[in-house]
Parts: sequence; structure tokens; C-alpha cells
Amino acid sequence: MSQSLRPYLQAVRSSLTAALCLSNFASQTAERHNVPEVEARTSPEVLLTPLTIARNENERVLIEPSINSIRISIKIKQADEIEHILVHKFTRFLTQRAESFFILRRKPIKGYDISFLITNFHTEEMLKHKLVDFIIQFMEEVDKEISEMKLFLNARARFVAESFLTPFD
Amino acid sequence: MLLLDYQNVLIQSVLTERFSGAPPVSIDQTVSDFDGVTFHISTPEAKTRIMVSLQIRCFQELLRYGAEDVLNREYGPYVVAPEPGYDFSIVVDLENLPADKEARDELVKKISLLKRNAMAGPFEQAYQEHYHLKAEAAKFTSEEAPQGVREGGAVKAIHYREEEAIYVKASHDRVTVIFSTIFREETDRVFGKVFIQEFVDARRRAIQNAPQVLFRNDPPLELQGVPGVKNTGTGEIGYVTFVLFPRHLTPQRMPDVISHIQTFRDYFHYHIKASKAYIHSRMRRRTADFLQVLRRARPDNEEKERKTASGRTFKVGS
Amino acid sequence: MANQTPAVVMDNGTGFSKLGFAGNDSPSFVFPTAIATKGPTAGASGSGSGRPAVANKPSFLTGGAGPTGHLSMKRGTEDLDFFIGDEAISAASGPGYGLHYPIRHGQVENWDHMERFWSNSIFKYLRVEPEDHHFLLTEPPLNPPENRENTAEIFFESFNCAGLYIAVQAVLALAASWTSSKVTDRSLTGTVIDSGDGVTHVIPVAEGYVIGSSIKSIPIAGRDITYFVQSLLRDRGEPDSSLKTAQEIKEEYCYVSPDIVNEFAKYDRDRSRFMKHVVAQPGGRQVTVDVGYERFLAPEIFFNPEIYSSDFLTPLPVVVDGVIQSSPIDVRRGLYKNIVLSGGSTLYKDFGRRLQRDIKQLVDARIRQSEVRSGGAKSGGLEVQVITHKRQRHGPWFGGSLLGQTPEFRSYCHTKAEYQEYGPGIVRRFALLGGPGGS
Repeated sequence: MSQSLRPYLQAVRSSLTAALCLSNFASQTAERHNVPEVEARTSPEVLLTPLTIARNENERVLIEPSINSIRISIKIKQADEIEHILVHKFTRFLTQRAESFFILRRKPIKGYDISFLITNFHTEEMLKHKLVDFIIQFMEEVDKEISEMKLFLNARARFVAESFLTPFD
Repeated sequence: MLLLDYQNVLIQSVLTERFSGAPPVSIDQTVSDFDGVTFHISTPEAKTRIMVSLQIRCFQELLRYGAEDVLNREYGPYVVAPEPGYDFSIVVDLENLPADKEARDELVKKISLLKRNAMAGPFEQAYQEHYHLKAEAAKFTSEEAPQGVREGGAVKAIHYREEEAIYVKASHDRVTVIFSTIFREETDRVFGKVFIQEFVDARRRAIQNAPQVLFRNDPPLELQGVPGVKNTGTGEIGYVTFVLFPRHLTPQRMPDVISHIQTFRDYFHYHIKASKAYIHSRMRRRTADFLQVLRRARPDNEEKERKTASGRTFKVGS
Repeated sequence: MANQTPAVVMDNGTGFSKLGFAGNDSPSFVFPTAIATKGPTAGASGSGSGRPAVANKPSFLTGGAGPTGHLSMKRGTEDLDFFIGDEAISAASGPGYGLHYPIRHGQVENWDHMERFWSNSIFKYLRVEPEDHHFLLTEPPLNPPENRENTAEIFFESFNCAGLYIAVQAVLALAASWTSSKVTDRSLTGTVIDSGDGVTHVIPVAEGYVIGSSIKSIPIAGRDITYFVQSLLRDRGEPDSSLKTAQEIKEEYCYVSPDIVNEFAKYDRDRSRFMKHVVAQPGGRQVTVDVGYERFLAPEIFFNPEIYSSDFLTPLPVVVDGVIQSSPIDVRRGLYKNIVLSGGSTLYKDFGRRLQRDIKQLVDARIRQSEVRSGGAKSGGLEVQVITHKRQRHGPWFGGSLLGQTPEFRSYCHTKAEYQEYGPGIVRRFALLGGPGGS
């Protein structure tokens, strides 16, 4: 793990743990509704100050807490066009399967690549620290996966090019 | 599978079966090949007379560049007037096959290479031009060579797909083959770029004797003034240039080089798609991993066995 | 219209895949839905070379392979090193390759393998650029919609195919029966009896939609008939009773008899009904095998399962009748009238005739009973018709070929642009091809 990654992830972990303090809260505007306030945005008094943790200009996390829900959006590192396409492909692949991911938001927030929405119902039936673990692990692995896929692509391209040109030799 | 076959597998298998002495049956099959080429295998007159027809979108252009010679050379005795709707037809009479098995296999092979041979015309012509120009150029030193010799032959354009074309140009020391490629999709475009870059680099790094490969987004110099070549400036169209040097241009190597270079576009696209398939399987695996991590967040309280007073057990699910 | 490329029709079944182009009367390629990949060499240390690889995890992805795994992966081309179809079977008999069947019970189980299987089918066998062609794929009845979405994801994202249509096999089999002279109205209502190698399904279809709750399957199909022939050969002590011989005998000599007791008597009167089958054994020797009662006994297990199996005892006609009786009452007439056969194990001579007679008997008996119970009311009768046609063997494929060449086919497909606009969920619904409003 590189030098700056550890404090970055540590900061995300601590802020997330602190922010994941959710309680059941019925909607104040619609009767008998219970909606994630961070999405509904109808009662400003239950929204907390959003918080951005940035490692550099390309990698950052936005945490938007509220009384009964929290939204975490991640911007994944994209150094070049290839990584951009791979990130796009991968996040789309994941959101396509959002059904089984419970906390995955089907659409990322503008300016970010992927978003999670955790509500008090999630924290009630899942272990809070494990959820944090999941987010952290996700951030770690995604970077690794993207760079591995890029490596693969380059290696494959080289192999393919050489195999095509060898018969001319 | 790494390299694509040059021949059409289906024609090959159909004919091999027919030639092996199986009882004649009527055939009526439409077969496709890359680049919108359509074959039609049929037995219009009798079950023993198999007709193979070819339809290719750039046939008129191919004819202009000497495809007829190649086709007549390859299929001479079998050529018949083309079937309506198709560009070229041959008929093989099962009762009149070569006697020994090897010659029959040879014939099958030849017919299954129909597309390749149809496309080979311009290339062969370019080879001939190159030989001619080389002989001409040998008479002069490089400075005093007349304009025509230095410039080389005219560019032969083959619009083999709706939006893509192959350009072939011969000169006294090389034959240049240019593919115009187009990508409709962002992912393919990016992947394609990575692949092309490696084609360009391969010669420098590993295979010194390979043809030189160049890539650019605007039409190369050779294509200036060729009708139909537009500089869109959007970067959507790319031009891949293969420069064949004299060592690739010997008559002995001609057939293989021509076959091989023809498969470039399909090979290229095949591998882009194969890498996407691989990346998909990686993503599937990674997604399964993530799900597993997330599942760990659920406390496992299921499967608790309880007993009633009477001693019967039951399970409490989560 | 000159450069309209023909649609590609692919029918991937559990046992065999049928591939070809729309408009043809038979598939261009028929080969096993099998893929041979490099066996596990990195992941499982020192496993037997003959053992097939773990199905779900390609060796190059086995997690925690450590740094060495990554190094070898960089140059990794394992995912290109595989064979499909007949080549897979021969490759798997040698060392180094493990054989997998990506489709189980009609449904895709291993998407990684399936994706590569498709890739090779398209580029090596069919030789088409998927961007230029529309594709018609098939799916079994009751295929979960998620599988459709996964299929669409592969076809649009990996292959960029121009358009995609996914049809239910049973519906295509109905469409294939339109070639029969007995069919007058091109309806998509009917009962499909689909008998392949592993299992036989009876599927009621109403107006192009499968009545899922009434589908029944029977564990008797082609493979069981082969086994039965083999056991008969063994009992008689024939010189060659291999599975291959049994299969040849089954395909060449078997037929369905109207009544087995009479048939036995006929054989005893007329010795010419006994046949001889010549088997060329490896090594150039030739052996002659007698072919006797199994000619009509083997397919008889559909009608009298008790002669073969002890667990499944319901004859096929009873199952078909039961399926139709459990369907909604207003479509039953259509279901009886249009019973369509599909699959290799329905090809026996007179299979359809016998089935029709037996079902008719059941139906007539029921009508008589209700007439008696109603005290004098007369029933108008019920038409039972079993349709046999020439394209039965590859019924679903042929139906696909038939529909794929219609001019309106393309407008029924979902295109790549639509996929990108709406996401994979779009393939959950397809307009009914060849249904009301169509052709």
C-alpha cells in the first residue's frame, strides 16, 4: 500500500464510522412515509454537513450524512482514457447487479463514479463495522482491479500484435 | 483460437462431406462470411452439380483491379455465369471429380478460399506493379529516376465494407496497404487504440522483419487526392498502414502474405471482443467477491436449533 | 436489400448447439455445447490431469494465487486457449484440457464459458462480424429474466451485435410446424412435445405465451431409448452391444407400432422383419448384430414406460392429456388441435400417429363419460391432431430461421442503441414475433 493511501483510507474509515449513526425517522412532509432523508431533501434540519475526503484531485470520497441515511460517493482514479473506460465498464457492471448489493445506489451522484446509500434499515440488520469494512475493501480492490485490467489489456494487445506480425517474419 | 482461418469452414465441411462419396443430396444454403460477404451453396440443376456463388459488395472494384484473372486462374474450368443476385459462381460436378483424394482435398480448400481469392486481385496486381517498378528503378540512380517511377502506381481503393476500405499502393521499394477503420463505440475505440499502438511498437521491440505499421487519424499522404477519402477530423476514422518491404514481396511468399493481411480487420475486431469477454469474466469474479464481503456484514443468527418441552426440535430461521 | 445480411440463428441446447443463418432449411453447424479449457494447473496444486477444472472459476482468476499467479497472468492467454464443439470433445480426451458443459437443464450455468463459446461460434464457425448481423437466440421455457439480461449484456457489450431477439424454444417449434401441410392457420397456440437427449418436455403455448404452470417434463428421452436398446442387445448376448451400436440401431431401425402384442405375432410369422446390422469395429473387423423386437419395443417406452423404468410409469399420451386439462379451459381446444413434435426423439415412424390415437382415445372416453353424466346431452366432439413435419429434428432452430428471414424481424429486435438507452432490462420484453399483428 502506497504512502498516501493508508491515511486516506483511514480518514474515510473514521469519518464513515462516525457518520453511520442512524436512527429510524419518519418523513415530516408525507404522512406514513419513511424515506431516506438524504435523498428526499425535504427537511433541511435533518441533513448534516456533507464531507469530502480527497487524496488528490482524481480520487475523492463524498460522505453525505443525514438522520436516517447516509450517501457515500466514490470517485475512482482514472489516469487516462483506458482507465476511464474500464472504470465506466466496471461500475456499470456493478450497478447492473445493484439488486443483490443492497446498499449500492443504481446511479452515481454527479461527478462521482459510484454511490452507496445506507439507511437505518441496513444498519439495523447488518453489522455497522462490517459495512465500513466493505466500503474500504471496495475502494482498495477497485483500484487494484482497474490497474490489473489495464495491464492485461496492454499485455494482450502486445501479444495479439506480435502474433499477427510474426507470420510475416 | 488466436489467428483466424483464411478459409470458410462451412463451405469446407459441406464440400468435404459431398466429395467423400456420400450419396448426393440437394443443398440450398446461404452462408455468410466476414465483411458482409454472402455465399450460396446450391444444387440448382441436379444433385450432383454443386454451385457455389459469392456476393461481395466491392466486386466491381475488384474486377477493375484484376480479380478476374485471379479467379479464372484458380477456378478456371469451374467458372460459370454468375447466379442472379450474386457476383461470381462456380459449379463442381460430383461425377467429374479429381480421382485421387489429395486433389479433391485441394479443390475443397481452393473453393473454401473463394473470398480470399476474390479479394486477392488488387494485391496481386500491386505485387506485379512493384516488380515492374523495381526493374524500372534499377535502371536509374535515385536522383534521376523519372517522376512516375519514384511515385509508384496508383492507389487501388477497395470499399469492402460500408464505411471502411482497403487501399493498396505499389512503389518500387514497397507495397503499402492502408486500412481505414472506424469505431462506433467508445469502448471499442479505446481498446482499438491500445491494440494499434502495440502493432506499431511490435516491430521496434520484437519482430524486426515485420512490416512497418503506422497509425494516424487523418488520411496518410498516400491517400491524398483519392476520391472518397475524407478528413472528418473527429478522430472517428483511423488509418492503419502496413508497409510491406521487399522481403515480404517475394513471389514465394505472396500467397501467404496476401491471405494473412486480409484477415487484419477481422482479427483485430475479434481480439477486441475476446478481451472484453475476458474482462467480463474478471468482473463477474470480482463482483462475486464483493458480494461475499458484503454478506459478511449480516450477522449469522440463522439455524438456531431449539427444543420444545416435549423434546422435539425445530429451527428458527433468520 | 442486396446488402441485408442474414440474421444469425443460434439454438444452444443442453446437449447440442444449432447454429446457422435465417432462411436456410437446416442449421449450418450442429455440435455439442461443450467447451474444453486448460485444466487447473495454477490453482489446484497437483491435481490429476484428467480431472475437469472447477466449473465456476477459470484458473486464471482463482483468487489468492499470490504474486506468481499475477506474473503468469500478465502474459495470460489462457482465455484464448480453448476449443468448442466436437473439437472440444477430442481435445478433452487428451491431456491438459478439461471439458465443460456451460448449459445445464437448458439454462446457462457458467457465463464465462458461455461467452467464450459464443465468441468462438461467431468468429470461427459462422465467420460473421456481429456488428453487421442481427441475432436470434433461444431460451427454454421458464428461463429467469436475469438470464436474458446476462445474455443481452454479453451480446451487446462484448459483441456489439446489431440487434438481438430472444425467443422461447417451444414457440419456435410451433412456428416450425407451419411448414406442415396439415397446418392451415398460422397460430401460435398449441402443445409442444420436445424430446431431446436428456429430457422430454410437454409445453402448452397459448397465443405465443407459454403456460408455465402446466409444463410437465418426463424423464424419458433419447438417451433412455439408447440404454434400453443396449440392454436388449446385452440380454441376447449380441457380439457388439456398445452404446454407439445401440444408438445406430435406434436411429436406423426403430419405429412405433400400433399394438405390441400384434407386432410380436407379426414378427413371429414373418422372419423378414428381423434385420441384421453390420458394425465395423476398430481394427477392420466386421460384426453382424441381429436386430429384433427392439425395433418397436424401444420407442414403446414412451407409451408403456413400465417396460423400462420402475420410477416413472405415466405414459406420454396421459401426460399430454393432463397438461392440456390443467391449462385454462378456453385454450384447451386449440391445444388439442395443434400438438407439435420437436426434437430428435420424436422422429420414429408413426410416433405422431400413435400419439394422436392414444390421446384421442383418452379424450373420447372422457367425453362419453360426461355425456352419460349429463344425461343425454351430446358433445360436438373434440379434434385431436398431432403434427409431424419434416423439420422436426431441429424444430426450434428451423422456426427461428423461418421467423428470422421475415422482413419485419429486424423491427422486432432490440438494438444496441435501445440497450444503451434503457439498460439490459429491455430484453425482458420482446414483441411477439409472428404473432397477431405480425406477418
